[in-house]
Amino acid sequence: MTTIGTGAPTPATLPGRGGRPAGRHSITQRAARILRGREEPAWRAAARIASIVPLGALAFTLTVLAVKAWPAIRVNGAHFLTGTDWRPGSAYGAVVRTHGVAHPAGSSYGAWALIAGTLQTSAIAIVIAVPVSVGAAFALTERLPGWLARPLGLAIETLAGIPSVIVGLWGALTLGPFLAQHVYPFVAGHVPDVPVLRYFRGPTGHGEGLLTSGIVLALMIVPIIASTARDLFAQVPPLPKEGAQALGMTDAEVARWVTLPWVRSGLVGATILGLGRALGETIAVAMVSGSVIAIAPNMYGNMTTIAATIVSQLDSAATDGTGFATATLAEAGLVLAIISVVVNVLARRVIARSSRLGLPVGSAA
Amino acid sequence: MAWPASSVPTRAAGPESPLLDPVLQALDPDRDRPADILHATGLTLGFGSKTVVADIDAAFPRGTITALIGPTGSGKSTFLRTLNRMNDKVPGFRRHGDVRLDGSSIFTPDQDLLGLRRRVGMLFQRPNPFPMSIRDNVVAGVRAHRIARGKQLDVVAEQRLSQVGLWDAVKDRLRDSPFRLSGGQQQLLCLARALAVGPEVLLLDEPTSSLDPVSTETVENLLRSLTPALTLVIVTHNLAQARRLSHRTMFLFDGALVEHGTTEQIFESPREEHTQRYVTGRIG
Repeated sequence: MTTIGTGAPTPATLPGRGGRPAGRHSITQRAARILRGREEPAWRAAARIASIVPLGALAFTLTVLAVKAWPAIRVNGAHFLTGTDWRPGSAYGAVVRTHGVAHPAGSSYGAWALIAGTLQTSAIAIVIAVPVSVGAAFALTERLPGWLARPLGLAIETLAGIPSVIVGLWGALTLGPFLAQHVYPFVAGHVPDVPVLRYFRGPTGHGEGLLTSGIVLALMIVPIIASTARDLFAQVPPLPKEGAQALGMTDAEVARWVTLPWVRSGLVGATILGLGRALGETIAVAMVSGSVIAIAPNMYGNMTTIAATIVSQLDSAATDGTGFATATLAEAGLVLAIISVVVNVLARRVIARSSRLGLPVGSAA
Repeated sequence: MAWPASSVPTRAAGPESPLLDPVLQALDPDRDRPADILHATGLTLGFGSKTVVADIDAAFPRGTITALIGPTGSGKSTFLRTLNRMNDKVPGFRRHGDVRLDGSSIFTPDQDLLGLRRRVGMLFQRPNPFPMSIRDNVVAGVRAHRIARGKQLDVVAEQRLSQVGLWDAVKDRLRDSPFRLSGGQQQLLCLARALAVGPEVLLLDEPTSSLDPVSTETVENLLRSLTPALTLVIVTHNLAQARRLSHRTMFLFDGALVEHGTTEQIFESPREEHTQRYVTGRIG
């Protein structure tokens, strides 16, 4: 380590250090002195690289997917986005060529059911998870005493670390059957036959399907949204809340008029994080969706999502000697990636609009 | 903690009543109410095992401005915040003694806390606008108490913003964020918000300590114009401000009410040596 200092173009002493000989400074002091003057360019270079990496990774991912999916895009065309048939064709039959791309005779892929399933399960998950998470975060920061809030907060964060396969297993073996036996029949028998609620009527199945998938997804994203929301609530400065109390507002009114608006854009961000996770969640959904490539006729119907289909079909796709099934899965993956990006951009617009009041999250006013 | 009715001083009997003319007294709508709108008796406040202020007896005559002065840590803010029970939720807060608003205790179990705070408003050390538009800030309390709604809210907003002299500056951006206003304007906005619910007493916790001298003067003139309709209690570290603004001054030191009298008396002929040393700048 002693060689670090030799030949360094820094002066032997720093201003204000009283001209002590360099040798009497500790190694860290000497290292700091050497770094001074070089740290600014190094810092800038590091920042530049760091800012490019995520963008580059996104572009790279989309490009690779697009290249892999290109044969499927050419053959499937717009039908891929609107059709609901999913036929790999005969692996032993003739190979035909469309637009110069070889694929098994009789193969036809339409992913609308997968796209719809992805959006439906994610929407259900968000509808359930956002109120639950915000309520939990609010209770943790505002209502519960510290000795209770701390272990509960820890439990929520631990929940975020449970592998999704375990959540899926629990959903398939315990939650799904329980709901199908004790909850779904009751709900289906009691909701009125009106728009939207109509989808809660009809046959309730065996516990796999759309609603179970949505609930399992909600369970997986609650920790993400709740722990972010808790940190946001904790950042709201006390003074505006006191001001609201001093005006005679009740606790509920303080939450409604001050705390929630204060963190609104941050909550949207937390919701996007959760939504991203829900859109892409694979194995848990594959285990509780029923894995049927169709649009669920009601809330209890079997269905599947893009991610779940990719993981469950990858093995059999490899048996397609023309590689067309694999390309189709890549196309499905590309659609999923695009959905995620579009959702992100849209949500960012929402943030921009809702933070019109010029409130940086957690700013001290 | 009921106060014997006979000993409640009425305005007619109050030695420092601003209304001495018997005809005016007869016309005074408050004539049957106590002359002191707020009255603290034997008030001891603390957090946990620490006592912040001890055994304070103080009366606040209706329609006057009382300044609370004293060095940091003397318990001024704790005392002030007890007057509308803002300390209730602070962990470990304890209280002995009583505060009466118009003769009745504010600490009785059936006291409507929200109603109390509507009558006893508060302005804080730093502006604390809510994360909503300027107009919504002004009417936030009015909405919460359902005093007005719909179109009336716009009337209230204009009225209160005009009252604090902010209307011309913000009338074209009522829907904008209050956080782009200057600090002084934000504090005026908070004052308009506090006034909108029609309080009888306004508690001010160093309301100008974060403002520049010009904004401070604006706020002071405004506060002066609020009396005698309102009763003001103001905590301030600025002795000149206490002298300019207040009718009465209370000097707190180390948790005790050292001296309480007219502002002129406290500053010109203090009875206690401590007061003398503080108001002449030799301690604190």
